[in-house]
Amino acid sequence: MQETVFNVLADLALKATGQAIPPSRAYLMEARLAPLARREGFGTLSDLVHCLESRQNPVFRNEVASALLTHDTWFFRERSVFDTVINTILPERLDATQSGRLRVWCAGGSSGQEAYSLAMLLEDEPGASLRSAKIEILSTDYCKYSTEKARLGVYNHYEAQRGLSIFRLMKHFTRMDSGDWQANETIRSRVSFRQHNLMETASGLGKFDLIFCRHVLSGMSKAARMRVAEVLVAQMAPGAVIILGEGETFQGLTESLEPARDIRQGWVAAGTANRAAA
Amino acid sequence: MRTCLIVDDSRVVRKVASRIVRDLGFSVTEAGDGAEALKMCRESMPDAILLDWNMPTMNGIDFLRALRREEGGKVPRIVFCSIENDPEHINEALRSGADEFIMKPFDADILESKFAEVGLI
Repeated sequence: MQETVFNVLADLALKATGQAIPPSRAYLMEARLAPLARREGFGTLSDLVHCLESRQNPVFRNEVASALLTHDTWFFRERSVFDTVINTILPERLDATQSGRLRVWCAGGSSGQEAYSLAMLLEDEPGASLRSAKIEILSTDYCKYSTEKARLGVYNHYEAQRGLSIFRLMKHFTRMDSGDWQANETIRSRVSFRQHNLMETASGLGKFDLIFCRHVLSGMSKAARMRVAEVLVAQMAPGAVIILGEGETFQGLTESLEPARDIRQGWVAAGTANRAAA
Repeated sequence: MRTCLIVDDSRVVRKVASRIVRDLGFSVTEAGDGAEALKMCRESMPDAILLDWNMPTMNGIDFLRALRREEGGKVPRIVFCSIENDPEHINEALRSGADEFIMKPFDADILESKFAEVGLI
């Protein structure tokens, strides 16, 4: 890949989604953009970049920046997190808020598997207190295509088998003539999807009691991770918990959060971790 | 080391599945049809069985029903693995005693995920 081409694409990824792509991963860039380039009829990435620069088209920019992101996700990824959410976090939050309502945000939720996993658990095994609660699940992603796919709730043969037991697949999904599987209305009615860039304010989304932001920070520059931390913190309802992916941290990114006690990968407002447990 | 019996009439599928299952830490044996598999189970009951549907001599469903009636035959976790992936076939496999169902074609991620689902890993 030409250096100038790499630089334009790396710059776009950094500005649009905060991704820091080192030159050593130029090959990944080529692999991820190949389907888009083919579809749009560009012979080379250099042609694609030329178009990107000459036509200042925000839709095309979103498509290119989206293609450069990792979309990989699966149902019940890091399963123990979901058990903690259902058995501990949501019941505790519900108890504390006394409103009978909770709001959950899957920030950077890609094609929706995380949101649907939670919806399935709420259908299948809610504890007594959760059964009568109104729990709203919102999943957002920068990528327009992923957001639309999530909204349809349609998963291909491979996606539908990754992390999902055959019993849950049969219960919560319907096989389409194409061989794909679509989430049933019972779980689709529990979740909603919106396109949103985590680098921009999320004040329009309201406050949340639980925020998932898993495997989103990993590929980002430090400045971008700091920005995302700030955006997430601003949307925390009192007592809210943020859950990061395995191996991710807010350490060094914000003074506003500290690790939650007894919740793996969980973060709460600074100065409240011990109070919440008391 | 845990053991897994792979039952499929396709040598290619057995070879691909074997490699994945070995990587998951199992010792692997193979059978080309249900009758052969049943014989092997009577000699030594495996911890896991990856089972194809359509096979000569004895198909997967007949093997599954027969095995579950055998002494110790309820012990192995049985993961059905078939190209027959409509809900009717899947339900029939589950009713007949399968613990999980993989729709072919599959990859290592799916196999690992399904083995985890039934507590094998």
